[in-house]
Amino acid sequence: MRRRFGSGMAAAVLVVAGLIAAGCGGGGSNSNSKSINVAIVDNPQMKDIAQLTPSLFTKQTGIKVNYTVLDEGTLRQVTTRDVAAGGRQFDVVMIGPYEAPQFGKDGTLVDLTQMAKSDSAYKYGDIIPAVRNALSTDGKLYAAPFYGESSFLMYRKDVLQKAGVTMPLHPTWDQVAAIARKVNSSKMAGICLRGKPGWGDLGASLTTVLNTFGATWWSAGANGSVGQAQVNTPAFRNALQFYVNLIHDAGEKDAANSSFNECLTQYTDGKVAMWYDATVAASNLEASNSPVKGKNGYAFAPVEKTKSSGWLWSWALAIPKTSGKQNQAWKYISFATGPQYLKEAGSRISGGWAAIPPGTRNSTYKIPQYAKAAAAFAKPTLEAIAAAPITDPGTTPRPGLPGVQYVGIPQFQDVGNQCTQQFSAVIAGRGSIDSALKNCQSIASQVKG
Amino acid sequence: MKTTAGAVDALHPRPRRLNPPGLSESWRRRLPLLPALLVMILLTQVPFVMSIYYSLTDWHVVPPGPRAWVGLHNYGTLFSDSFFRSAVWVSVRLTVIPVIFSLLLGTAFAVLLDRKFFGRGLIRTLLITPFLLMPVVVGLIWKNQMFNDLYGVINWVIGKLGGTPLDFVSRYPTWAIAVTLIWQWTPCRMLTMLAGLQGQPQDVLEAAKVDGASAWGTFRQLTVPHLRPYGELGILLGTIYLIQVYDLVAVMTGGGPGSTNVPYFVFQRSIGGGWEFGQASAYSIVVVIASIIIATLSLRLLSGLLKGEEVA
Repeated sequence: MRRRFGSGMAAAVLVVAGLIAAGCGGGGSNSNSKSINVAIVDNPQMKDIAQLTPSLFTKQTGIKVNYTVLDEGTLRQVTTRDVAAGGRQFDVVMIGPYEAPQFGKDGTLVDLTQMAKSDSAYKYGDIIPAVRNALSTDGKLYAAPFYGESSFLMYRKDVLQKAGVTMPLHPTWDQVAAIARKVNSSKMAGICLRGKPGWGDLGASLTTVLNTFGATWWSAGANGSVGQAQVNTPAFRNALQFYVNLIHDAGEKDAANSSFNECLTQYTDGKVAMWYDATVAASNLEASNSPVKGKNGYAFAPVEKTKSSGWLWSWALAIPKTSGKQNQAWKYISFATGPQYLKEAGSRISGGWAAIPPGTRNSTYKIPQYAKAAAAFAKPTLEAIAAAPITDPGTTPRPGLPGVQYVGIPQFQDVGNQCTQQFSAVIAGRGSIDSALKNCQSIASQVKG
Repeated sequence: MKTTAGAVDALHPRPRRLNPPGLSESWRRRLPLLPALLVMILLTQVPFVMSIYYSLTDWHVVPPGPRAWVGLHNYGTLFSDSFFRSAVWVSVRLTVIPVIFSLLLGTAFAVLLDRKFFGRGLIRTLLITPFLLMPVVVGLIWKNQMFNDLYGVINWVIGKLGGTPLDFVSRYPTWAIAVTLIWQWTPCRMLTMLAGLQGQPQDVLEAAKVDGASAWGTFRQLTVPHLRPYGELGILLGTIYLIQVYDLVAVMTGGGPGSTNVPYFVFQRSIGGGWEFGQASAYSIVVVIASIIIATLSLRLLSGLLKGEEVA
């Protein structure tokens, strides 16, 4: 009895062990030659194009598009696995200025420059230069922008007026903090700032603040290599302290759980008076069904020691080198990010003209219907994108590839995620700034140039 | 002639032919299972062995680099890693707290459900519902509809009672996840305990009643000892399930101090942004060893239980 049980146990244990340890799976491939697999992020604009693809693209070309729609975090895991580790699952992936130059340099993405320039319908020269440059390295375009954004400050004109304050067009963080504390009340918080862990959430907002306060994650060594971690410097501490104090004094409720979507809800619900976030939010605030439509003012991203501090981001489409259908993939990209789609989408999508993908092409802003629908935010958006200090975001040189709200090195994803978890805990009122900075410094120090 | 002989053989098999010397009775029974076992070994043990190999290398996907042999280095850094140690501590708390509370609550509900009353079937179904929901849905419901300090039910009640709302998930992540796990796992414990209660011999209970024993005395001295093996089984199964909780952590907090447990930590070190496959393999091997220890203990206890049943 005892013995038999023992052998059964050994087998069970082995099976359990195997199941736990079995980790990586292989990718699939599609045998249908007239279809491509595309991974996109679950933002409203992407959902629109997924809906319009059969009628606007498949009908004309006969190419079927299989979409995989993922949230930002999952998309990053999937694309990194697919592109960097050679997963061979997708023919087109959606990435941004953080990934495109890195993957491009590593040689895992198809260089789109030639295809884009020779495709007359695509109008390569029409792409907004700041966005195009952010997605290129060494003059080679590795991803075609689907939409582009910077960050700016949105505020309720009526609320500020009632409090007797005016917001300058180019505010400093000290001015913004003073106004936030002044308009803050028990019914309406002064400002909404991201506090949710994640390098693309809290990490993005906080890094633009760090930059303009003269702080940096790492010093830069020779040739842009990663130098010493700078998290334990006074400048970093000041910036973080400022950010945390502002949230504690005049920030939104449950800040440690809030990012873009949570702040959008609170702002449109009238629960916050100001909001520092992506310019793309303006299209939601000015939408025809928005309760705060027409009540908003827009100011440049607040600064402290630098001239401008807004970030630069773009969701863009790229082709992994492992794809066997590069021609079909380009046809799709040319359709999705070309000028024709922008014109066709305006009258077809539920959000109307104001909701078409912004910030990629100069011609978008010359469409009369769009100029009218987006009158409140089109100019601030374009100016913010142009002003984003992507090559020189702070007061000291940065390691790695260009970037504002991130550091252009592959390890930033990991360091940013882990450190923002520490900082988010401080925002939630758990743990001290000292221990968070100490932990983060040790995390950042593990990165070697 | 030959066929006839074969047919006769098939109809009247001689035991000697089917029992070749050297192959014991038990092996003859196992023989047909071997192909399945082989597939099982290929599917589970080959990846495991590869994981062991990966855990001895320095392999990171981002930035891409050559896979270098580093021996036991990954294991050495593991135990000096304070983040891993705190993940272990979170794992321990996220296992022990829900296991104990769901067992106590499950027993209480089972005792209530064990008596007949109007609408018992409906109540029982309602009580089981949490167990039927997907963990991700459970996490989202509790995070947004219960704990949220602007829109959550709990804070609405606190507000009505004159208190100040509290963002439970960010202030007390471990307890927020633990409470959700208790809610989700209580029905399972309840079912186990209910089965135990309903298997209780009625004549003994009646005898106790005739002897004038109080309800509490009967429960404490007869029901509790009878339920003990069921409770132990609940604790063991609960531990094995709860030690691998990942979905609730991912949905409710997305990790962080006080909520990153070992499975989430392994995820973060591998495809969750760390891309250190070598290091992550080492972590998962350690988890496997820990699981083997727990599984061994569990199975020992379980075999003891079964023996106890036989004696009884």
